[in-house]
Amino acid sequence: MKKLVLMLSTVVLSLAINMQAQAGNVETLQSEYQAAGAGNFSASNGEKMWVKNNLDKKSGKQRNCQTCHGKVLTQSGKHARTGKVIEPLARSVNSERLTDIKFMKKWLKRNCKWTIGRECSAQEKGDFLEYLKGQ
Amino acid sequence: MVQPKKKRVWDLPTRLFHWLLVLAFALAWATYDDSRHLDIHTISGYTFFALLLFRLVWGVVGSHYARFSEFNYTPGEVLSYLHSLFGDGTKYYIGHNPAGAWAIFILITLGLLLSTTGLIVLGGEEQQGLLAGYISFDQSEPFRMLHEMIAWGILTLVIVHVSGVIIESLLQRENLIGAMFRGTKWVVGESAMVPAHRLIASLIFISAIIWGGLSLNTYLISSDDQPYQPFKGPSLAMNDLWNEECGACHLAFHPSLLPARSWQYLFTQQENHFEEDLMLDEETLSELLNYARENSAEKNKTEAAWKINRSVMKNERPLKITSITYWKEKHSEISDAIWQKKSVQSKSNCGACHFDAEQGTFQDSAMKIPD
Ligand code: HEC
Ligand code: HEC
Ligand code: HEC
Repeated sequence: MKKLVLMLSTVVLSLAINMQAQAGNVETLQSEYQAAGAGNFSASNGEKMWVKNNLDKKSGKQRNCQTCHGKVLTQSGKHARTGKVIEPLARSVNSERLTDIKFMKKWLKRNCKWTIGRECSAQEKGDFLEYLKGQ
Repeated sequence: MVQPKKKRVWDLPTRLFHWLLVLAFALAWATYDDSRHLDIHTISGYTFFALLLFRLVWGVVGSHYARFSEFNYTPGEVLSYLHSLFGDGTKYYIGHNPAGAWAIFILITLGLLLSTTGLIVLGGEEQQGLLAGYISFDQSEPFRMLHEMIAWGILTLVIVHVSGVIIESLLQRENLIGAMFRGTKWVVGESAMVPAHRLIASLIFISAIIWGGLSLNTYLISSDDQPYQPFKGPSLAMNDLWNEECGACHLAFHPSLLPARSWQYLFTQQENHFEEDLMLDEETLSELLNYARENSAEKNKTEAAWKINRSVMKNERPLKITSITYWKEKHSEISDAIWQKKSVQSKSNCGACHFDAEQGTFQDSAMKIPD
């Protein structure tokens, strides 16, 4: 019995620490962006950019972040070019989201290029994260 | 005038054998050259084989007209029988006539050859079945041709056999096809006693039902989450880094799907990977390339790998699996409407149809076109 309590509390504790660390990673990245010159971040600006259409000249089609991630962030999306399912971005249903700094950086860079046609500024990236982390 | 009497000529096991053999052959024929139903093909093949083995035994211990010794005619007798067909009228045989008897012997021989070549192809090409692991892809190659030729030979013989039966039926004014169902014929004069052999027949019937049920029951218990995969492929080497780096935008295509030179070329183009930037650093790239090289198509770890490698010219290094001749041939019958389905969307979305796409094995029958 004692052992069980000990085990359970270790699990709970490590989960808590883990979650703390995870929650911390977005903030760490955001402060990195602030150090690079961004101001305060706004979730509503992030949301506006998330749904704003950008015309891709080559294909003649409109693109935005929903093109792959879908209209509802708590549901899975679908890669526009390959059809592959993309797991939901909302942390409320997918606790693995926004936990890896390198991963976030890589995808923000890649997805901005593809969607908007250029890399995003530190401010824009921080705003996206601000919007996403509340989901 | 002697009155003809209705007498049993074919015992039950012989009749069951006959019609089950027809069924097994028909099923195997209907599913040949169709990977999605290879399981049905092999189940019918095994059934066919087992039935022939039974018939060999029954030809020795069965009832009078089922015994090989009873219809062991010389070629001379066949010729004179055939001759009599065009002459004044036929000599009457209660059991098999000489031509029919020879058709049976040839059919059984061809059938046994068909079964053995089938087992060899299954073992070599698919690495499945009784001979899996004993035969390589290359070794089984000639047997595939042989297997097909024998099957055509049997089909031809079956057509001859059926025509013969129809001609005989007309000449004798008796429905001989019906006789193979009922077991009885109108016999003039003396004929041998033929017991029904109900017990043995029920044993055959019950084993056929159990075998069929066991083979097909997986279809009943499969669901969308756990689709039925009759053939399990070998477990291929996996690499976490590869699955992470190459599995985000699309399926992490297993390295066995392209030759090593293609992978090498793909990595030198990493900034412009189908208009995407792979953004791989030196270290990651070299690990990925190593893994790709060690498991590329040339290693022949799966049937798909072997066939893909054969299908690519040595001076080519395709970047798309979907541009390879073998791939195109295998998917040529899929309509545009299916490719454009929302659940498919792209030819490279292998997982939409292949249940084992992530494992990289691409086994026969492990596929379903989404509805
Ligand atoms: C062409 C398809 C596509 C578009 C359009 C797209 N994304 Fe993504 N995004 C992906 C893929 C693929 C991943 C990585 C796979 C995964 O995380 O499941 C990803 C991952 C991410 C991640 C990382 C999530 C995490 O867990 O760390 C962020 C952040 C992100 N995208 C933001 C955006 C933003 C912002 C936009 C719009 C500017 C956008 N995406 C548009 C395909 C896309
Ligand atoms: C940023 C997204 C992205 C990443 C990451 C990515 N790919 Fe691709 N890849 C694509 C797109 C888009 C296509 C074109 C798909 C199509 O046309 O259906 C493609 C196509 C391919 C094809 C050809 C598929 C076919 O049609 O036969 C291969 C092979 C391939 N990728 C291998 C890789 C490998 C190996 C990696 C990891 C090193 C990788 N990809 C990582 C986006 C990506
Ligand atoms: C729209 C559904 C669909 C998609 C998507 C698809 N396939 Fe197939 N594939 C099939 C069907 C159906 C067959 C069986 C064709 C036949 O036997 O006549 C098949 C056959 C094959 C075979 C031969 C299997 C065998 O042993 O005979 C291979 C290998 C294969 N596919 C690989 C791939 C790969 C690799 C991809 C992705 C790049 C892919 N397929 C995408 C439907 C699909």
